[in-house]
Amino acid sequence: MMTVNYVASAILVVMGLYTIINDKNLIKVVLGLGIVDYGVNLFIVSVGYNMGGTAPIFSISDIMANSVLFGNGGAFFVDPVPQALTLTSIVIGACVDAMALSLVVKLYQQYKTTNTDEIRRLRG
Amino acid sequence: MKMKDGIKTKNIIVKCGADSMLPFAIIFGMVVILFGSVSPGGGFQGGVCVAAAAIMIYLGYGTKTAKEAINMECIRVNEGIGAVIYVVLALIAVFMGANFCFNTLKFGQIGDMLAGGTITFMSYAVGYKVLTGVGFLLLMMLGMLGANDEEEEEE
Amino acid sequence: MSYVHFPVIAVMSLFLGAFVCAIFGKNHDKLCKAVGVLDAAWVFALIALIVKPVVFDGEIISYWMGNWSPIKGWAIGIGYEIDALGAFFALIVVFTVLMSVIYSIRYMDRDDDIYNYYTLLLMMSGSVLGLVLTGDVFNMFIMIEIMTFTAVGLTCFRNRSFGALEAGFKYLVIGSMGSSMTLLGIALLYAQCHTLNMAQLASILVNNTTPTSVLALALMFTGLGVKAYIVPFHMPAADSYAVAPTSVSMVFSGMVNKAGVYAIIRLVYILFNTMDKGSMQVLLTAFGAVTMFVGVTMALAQHDFKRLLAFHSISQIGYVITAIGLGSALGVTAGLFHALNHTLFKGLLFLCAGAVLYATGTTNLDKLGGLSKKMPKTTICFLVGAFSIAGMPPFNGFASKWMVYQAAFEKAVEGGHIYFAFITVVAVVVSVMTLASFIKVTQAVFFGQCPIELQKTEEVPFSMRLPMWIMSALCLLVGVFYDFVNKWFLAPATNAVLNATNYIDKMMGNGYAAAAGVENIQVAPAAFSFWNPLTWLVLFVVVFAAVAIVILTGKKSRGAVLETAENVDGKYATFFGGEASPFSHVSGSDLFWGFKKDWKGYFSFMDNLHSGIVNDYALWVVVALAIVTVWFNVFMK
Repeated sequence: MMTVNYVASAILVVMGLYTIINDKNLIKVVLGLGIVDYGVNLFIVSVGYNMGGTAPIFSISDIMANSVLFGNGGAFFVDPVPQALTLTSIVIGACVDAMALSLVVKLYQQYKTTNTDEIRRLRG
Repeated sequence: MKMKDGIKTKNIIVKCGADSMLPFAIIFGMVVILFGSVSPGGGFQGGVCVAAAAIMIYLGYGTKTAKEAINMECIRVNEGIGAVIYVVLALIAVFMGANFCFNTLKFGQIGDMLAGGTITFMSYAVGYKVLTGVGFLLLMMLGMLGANDEEEEEE
Repeated sequence: MSYVHFPVIAVMSLFLGAFVCAIFGKNHDKLCKAVGVLDAAWVFALIALIVKPVVFDGEIISYWMGNWSPIKGWAIGIGYEIDALGAFFALIVVFTVLMSVIYSIRYMDRDDDIYNYYTLLLMMSGSVLGLVLTGDVFNMFIMIEIMTFTAVGLTCFRNRSFGALEAGFKYLVIGSMGSSMTLLGIALLYAQCHTLNMAQLASILVNNTTPTSVLALALMFTGLGVKAYIVPFHMPAADSYAVAPTSVSMVFSGMVNKAGVYAIIRLVYILFNTMDKGSMQVLLTAFGAVTMFVGVTMALAQHDFKRLLAFHSISQIGYVITAIGLGSALGVTAGLFHALNHTLFKGLLFLCAGAVLYATGTTNLDKLGGLSKKMPKTTICFLVGAFSIAGMPPFNGFASKWMVYQAAFEKAVEGGHIYFAFITVVAVVVSVMTLASFIKVTQAVFFGQCPIELQKTEEVPFSMRLPMWIMSALCLLVGVFYDFVNKWFLAPATNAVLNATNYIDKMMGNGYAAAAGVENIQVAPAAFSFWNPLTWLVLFVVVFAAVAIVILTGKKSRGAVLETAENVDGKYATFFGGEASPFSHVSGSDLFWGFKKDWKGYFSFMDNLHSGIVNDYALWVVVALAIVTVWFNVFMK
């Protein structure tokens, strides 16, 4: 049911890591970071999803009677916590991308290149 | 979107589109912020909507106008103010004897705009912070692009 | 107001200070400096006030945000939980911040836009403090992310200096890879346990080792290892320590990598409760031993003062990881003690490097020399730090390193494992190399000839010397009164690490841990003796063997160099050639050129590993993740 999502998120993470390792362009490295983030986000939001679940607006007794958390059958609503986590994680991902891209702009101004092989003054 | 043949204005369709959509974008973002505690949405989402309006100004009028229209220093300061408001709202609870972030400002009926109490105002603070923060971010990055364009033109 | 509110107020004070600097600080440098110092002092006072109930009296503070306490044994809110371990690390954090802001008053004089510096520094301190005080896994992740961002910002602060942007970019790429892995691990934990509270996770995970939780452990271990800069994730750390302003390098080495160490301790001891397994001990000690060795050998090859100290910092973290990986009470005590001492002496050494940079404008070891007459007070402080890190008896480094050797040796004797004996030998050899490397630095910077350009060097101002004096005094006091420190600080923290049930019970209600089947690993108090003659004898035999190995391997290849003139490097040929050499002075940073020459294969190999290409560094992270995952999947079931 949700297997497609998990497979897709795994593929995204692996693709992102491959991009970071393999691509010699700074901007592509940043894109790789973004793709890893999206894979992780897709995973988290899939964790909380319930096929046919409703919005999680209930009184505490409803939840206690029906939630898997308290040992009473399956959850009938979509878990809101992973959605909150995903939202936070998306914001953080956006910040990573923005910060990394502005560093790339500055690096290009200093080094006149975006090739990672040439940006290695600090080594050894 | 390069200016061609010495034409000093952007494409009229883009400009008119930006003009007509700008108020709606801002108002929509504001509504999302204001009703965040009782409906889908909230401070963050609404804030991003409002901040996206800055892009619209850029699209319609170019970097230079966008920079002149918006006071960057003011935005930067206001971002800090948004954060301070959030923390102070959360700290009120501590000085009233409850734990941090406790819902101390309880008023309004269920379903009202202000029914969330502290949460509502925190959501507004987050909205304020995000609209200034993301707006500042976008303008900074567009400013970088603009600087590159100007250099090219000079060359 | 009761003290239970102090932790959260402390964290928020640091964040508020950062925002105040951002709002009012532009063009008001003095305001920023005042806010920084007052804020840090206020937070230090707050944390010092919770030390008495938490560390001395053994109470555990649990604090639910917004009074959302657990419902029917199920945590639904975000909780702060401060036990002796958290308070111990919180004390380290606030002390480091206080020293750093006092030092920054004059040190940052020559930079512009100081308000950005203070905003980032206070925000980073707040995030690290939040990280060590929180009891919620996702909150921990958020704090780690804030820490990474602000650390990148501070690394790039002097963005016109050599390599600052480059170091920041590498740090950001590797750091956010680590963060993504941590987040994936947290998501897997949530998928299995439906909670994010550490206490509750610990009670659920203890008897439920599933493939999901094993994968989550591997991901989180790797992700947090990136934050602690253990080898092979250390390359961006070395870069960023070297190029950041020195007051920030001190904060990086004093508290940012301590945050990673803290998170690893929490992860392996409390959250997964796995340290009774032999495979986990072997993995952690292996990581620690490799970190120690690689760090110190890389340090021997450096020509830059701060970069050399950065590699030493990595090497000392290896000691901490090794000690906590032993899984015994003595090991944990030794690890925590060394973490504390590392903050003191490494912070001191970085501050001395900053003083040299402030006074002379360079940290290149080849251009420095003879500063002891120009800067006598800095020299004394540096010698105290160097003696401490090298493990000279009256200073604190000796006490904690001795405990590390003893813990590892005891482990070897108890279990009869040759592996842990080997770890002990590595630790001793690394200590010898540390001493060697600090002889080199001392000779290159403070003794020897003073270059003409540095004749006008003056001593640094008092506000920069004050933190150095305080830290020197603490280095000596902690070394002399180790029993006092052990009794009042280390023993409670060790107790907190090994007794997961107290942590869980306080957060979730009495009897919760027992119902879930969590057991304390062991409660035996750490007993150690410093003057046991037999162990001393073993130490001397080991040191003698190490020296003998170095001498014997050296002789052989030195002879080879002399015999065949073809393969002699031009640089060294001037020593033995018939004609008069134009300049025969061996510069300070080349004091161990013979050693480097002898171990040429090893050093060129390490040089290739630290290639400076960000893709290679990322590859190391993935390789380490793969190794850790396979290891856990094979041995943890």
